[in-house]
Amino acid sequence: MIRVENLHVRYETERGSVHAVHGVELEIRAGQFYTLLGPSGCGKTTTLRCLAGLETPNEGQIAIGGEVVFSSTDGIFVPPWRRDIGMVFQSYAIWPHMTVFENTAFPLREMRPRLGRAEIRERVGKALALVQLSGLEDRPAPFLSGGQQQRLALARALVKEPKVLLLDEPLSNLDAKLREETRIELRELVDRLGITTVYVTHDQIEALTMSDVVAVMDRGRIVQTAAPADIYQRPDNRFVASFIGQTNFIRATVAATRREGEELGTAHTASGPMRCVLPDHVQPGDEVVVAVRPEDIRPCAPDDTTENTLEGEVTAIVYLGEALECQVSLGEDRVRLRLHPTAAVQRGQAIRVTIDGRACRALAE
Amino acid sequence: MASISATLPIARGRSHRGDLWRIVLLVSVGVFVLAPIAFLVLGSFSLAKLPTDLSLSRLGLGNYIEVWLKQNVEVVFYNTMVYVTGATVVGVGFAALFAWLVERTNMPGKVWIYAGIPLTLAVPGLLQAIGWLLLLSPQAGFFNHWLVQTFHLAHPPFNVKSLGGMIFVEGLRLVPTAFLMLVPLLRSMDPSLEEAAAVSGARPLSMLRRVTIGLMAPGLFAVTVYQAMTALEVFEVPGILGFPANIHVFSTRVYAIVQNIATVPSFGQANALAMIYLLIAVVASYFYFRLISRTERFAVVTGKAYRPRLVDLGRWKIPFFVLALLFLFLSIVVPYLVLLYSSLVGFLQQPSMAAFRTFSFKHFIEAIEYDRFQDTVWNTTLMVVGTATVVTIVSFLVSLVVVRSKFWGRRLLDQLAFMPHAVPGIVLGLAFLWLFLKFDQFTGTRLFGTVTSIVIGFSVQFLAYGTRAMNGAILQLHRDLEEAAATSGARPWRVMWRVFVPLMMPTIVGVWIYVVLLSVRLAGLPLMLFEGRDNTVLAVLIWYLWDEGNIEAVAAIGIMLMTVLFLLVIGLRLIGFGRDLAQTGAP
Repeated sequence: MIRVENLHVRYETERGSVHAVHGVELEIRAGQFYTLLGPSGCGKTTTLRCLAGLETPNEGQIAIGGEVVFSSTDGIFVPPWRRDIGMVFQSYAIWPHMTVFENTAFPLREMRPRLGRAEIRERVGKALALVQLSGLEDRPAPFLSGGQQQRLALARALVKEPKVLLLDEPLSNLDAKLREETRIELRELVDRLGITTVYVTHDQIEALTMSDVVAVMDRGRIVQTAAPADIYQRPDNRFVASFIGQTNFIRATVAATRREGEELGTAHTASGPMRCVLPDHVQPGDEVVVAVRPEDIRPCAPDDTTENTLEGEVTAIVYLGEALECQVSLGEDRVRLRLHPTAAVQRGQAIRVTIDGRACRALAE
Repeated sequence: MASISATLPIARGRSHRGDLWRIVLLVSVGVFVLAPIAFLVLGSFSLAKLPTDLSLSRLGLGNYIEVWLKQNVEVVFYNTMVYVTGATVVGVGFAALFAWLVERTNMPGKVWIYAGIPLTLAVPGLLQAIGWLLLLSPQAGFFNHWLVQTFHLAHPPFNVKSLGGMIFVEGLRLVPTAFLMLVPLLRSMDPSLEEAAAVSGARPLSMLRRVTIGLMAPGLFAVTVYQAMTALEVFEVPGILGFPANIHVFSTRVYAIVQNIATVPSFGQANALAMIYLLIAVVASYFYFRLISRTERFAVVTGKAYRPRLVDLGRWKIPFFVLALLFLFLSIVVPYLVLLYSSLVGFLQQPSMAAFRTFSFKHFIEAIEYDRFQDTVWNTTLMVVGTATVVTIVSFLVSLVVVRSKFWGRRLLDQLAFMPHAVPGIVLGLAFLWLFLKFDQFTGTRLFGTVTSIVIGFSVQFLAYGTRAMNGAILQLHRDLEEAAATSGARPWRVMWRVFVPLMMPTIVGVWIYVVLLSVRLAGLPLMLFEGRDNTVLAVLIWYLWDEGNIEAVAAIGIMLMTVLFLLVIGLRLIGFGRDLAQTGAP
C-alpha cells in the first residue's frame, strides 16, 4: 500500500544543516498497523509528514496505493490535498471557529465533484458514531474535552474513507488512564475498518501493544523493522535493546561461535563463560555486549554451577511495591534483576544468578 | 485518485512561482520605506531652500552648520532631555504602580481600572493638551483663575506652558500603553519564584525589590526605552503647550523651521535637524531589539496562566484605588469636561452661573454647517478608511511571508516594515514632503496636497504596528490547523479562506480599527503634508482653528471626535483586541 524508497530530508537551520531523514525505506502492506517508533528528533514525524505531503523530501520516492506521490528523479510532487489520506495531528488541530459537525464535514466539503447535503450529513453522522461523538454535532469545537477533541480529529481523518490513516502521536496529550483505554479502542477501530495505518510515537508501550509492525528509528535512519515481540525479544542492536524496555548490558568476548545444530555460542564475561545468541559474522576474539532483560535473570542456589550461572554481589535494593529491584555487580558490569517483594536479600550479600542462554543476545559493538 | 499527469512539478519550480509576489511585496515595502528616508538624508545636504530646487550639484554642509552650530541647539537639547526623561519617569512609574496594583494586590475596583485605562486611547493628544491649557494656562486658565480669586493670590499658581506642564500631560499620556505592556509581563510571571524567596526568608519588601523587580527588569527597561522614544517623537503635546511659549523640543523645532512664515522656509535645515531622530532611532531600536531578545531568554514568560498570591494592602487599599481613579479622572474626564464646557458656553469665559446660562449647541451647529468642516470630515473619512485598509492588507501579507514562509527575504521584510516605527510622524511627513514634491515635479502629477499623500505617509508610519500585531497573531495560530485542512483535501486558497482568514478575523478587524484610531488622532504627519483645503484632515483643522484662536469651534469638533473615538475603543475591546494592543503599544 505504501512504499518509500531512499527518503532523504535535509533542513537548513541557524545552526547548520540537519539531515532529519537519512535514507528511510518503508514497505507497508494494505491493512497493516505500522508504527514508527523513536526518541524525539529521530525523524519519525518528518517521515510521516513526507507521506502526507506536508514536507517536501530532498531525495527519494514515495508511492501510496500504487500511485507515485513523490519522486525526486521524475520531478513528481502530489500536494497533500490530492493524496488519499486522513491525518490526526498531535495537537488534534481542531478548528476552533467551527462546530463538531463542520469540523467533520470539512474534508467532504472539499471533495470535487461536490457532494450533496444529504450525503454529507449521513457520512458525518456515520463518522461521529464511529468515534462515539453522536449528539455533539452542534457543539462549538473549543467546548470539547481533550479526549473528545482527539476522537473528533479521528472522525475528521476517517470521514472521507481514505486509503491511508496517518497518526502523529495522537495519544500523547491524553492523561494516562484515558490513553490506555484509547489505545485499545483505536486498534479495534482500525481493525474494523481495515484501513492502512501509519502511527508515529515515542511511547514503546503504544508501539508494542498496537502495532503489526514496528520500525525503530534513530537519528534519521530505521534501525530495525519487526513485529513487536521480535523487537522486544530479539533486538538487532544496542540502540533498540536500550530504547525499548529495560536492558542489562554485559561486556564479553566471543569464545566460540555456534556449532552446527546448536542454537547458542559462547562468550567470556568477567564473571565466567556465558552461552548466548551470537550475531552472524562474529569471530572468536570479537568484543560484544550481551543484552539481557531483567525478567530473564533469576537467582539460584549458591552451589549451582550449571551453565550460565554467574556469581555477583548485591550493591543496591529498591522497593517497587510489586517487586524488589536488585542491582548486582558482575565484575565491572552491573545488572538489574527483579525479585519477589518478600525475598530476603541484603546489600553486600553474595548472590548467584542464572540466565537462560536463549534470552542472552550478544550484540556487536 | 489523481493521476500522475495531474501532479504538480517538484518543489523547485513551485517555490519560484510562489516567490514572485513575495519579491514584489519586498520591493514595494522597500521603496515606500527607504525612498522618503533617502530624500530626508539627501535634502539635509541641499543648499537650495525649497525641495523642488534640490539638485545634486548644490549640496553641502550649510544646513548642518546653521542648525547645529548657529541656532542655540543646546537649549532645544536641554528641553528635550528634561521633557523626555520627566515624561517617561512619570508615565512608566505610574503604569508600573497601576499594573502591580491590579495584578498583585487586593485593591478594590480593579475592573474599573482595566476598563478605564484603554479608554484613554480615545483622547487625542492635541485635545488633551488643549484641555489642560484651558484649565491651567497662566493667562486665563479656569483653574488658575479660580485659585487666584478664591485665595487672593498675586500670581496664577500653575503654568502648563512649561517643561513641567509638558511632562505632566505627556506623562499621563504614556501611562496606558506602558500599563498594557506591563500587565502581561506581571501576569505571566511564575509566582513560585516569589514564593521561593519568601520561604528563603525574604520579607515582602525585599522580595519585591530583589525578586519581582529583578525578574521584571529587562521587560521594564524595554518598556521604558519604548516609552522614551514615544515621548521623543510626540508632536501634539509640545506643539500645543511648548510651541507658543517658545519652549522648543526637537519635534516642534523641526516644524517651526518649515513653518517659518517670516522668511522663505529652509526645508533643508529641518532635515538637518531631523537627522538626530534618525540617529536616535537607529541606536534605540538596536538596544530595544537586543533587550527584547534578552527578555525572551529570561524564562519568566511561560505562557501559563498563574494565580498569584495577592499582596494585602491593608489600610492603603482605598488611597491606592483613589489614586488610580484620579489618574482616570485627569486623563479622560478632565479634558472631556473642559472641552464640553467650552463647546457649550456662548463665548469663552470663566465658569460661573452666568456662563452656564449661555449654554447652547450654537458652536456645534456652526461647526457642522461650516463648509471647511464638511470637507475635512470627508477627507478624514477617506484618509482613515484608506490608511486602515492599506495597513491591514499590507501587514497581513507581510506577516504571512515573515512568519509562515521560508522566503529568503523574510527577515529583511520584517525589518523594513518595522523601521518607520522609530521615525517620528513629523520627520516622516517631512521626508514624504520632499519625495512627493520631487515626484510631482518629475512626473507632472499632483500627489502632494492630496488625501492620497497622507494615506501613503500614514500607511508607512503604521506598518510597524500592523505587522507586530499580525506577526503575534499568526505565531499564535498553530500551523497544524492549516496543515489539517491541507490533509483534509483543501487547496491552498481554500485553506486560507476557510481556516486562516476566519481565525485571523479578530486581529484583522482589530488592526483596522486601531489604525483608524491612530491616524485620526495624530497631527504630525498630516501637518507636514498639509497643502490646503483638499487635504485638510481633522487633526490639522483643529491645529489651525486653535492657532486662529477659535477655541469654541475646536471644543465642539473635539467633543464630536472624542465621542466617535470612544465608540471605536469600546468596539476594539468587544472584539478582544486588548492583547494585541499590548504587544504593539500605542503612541
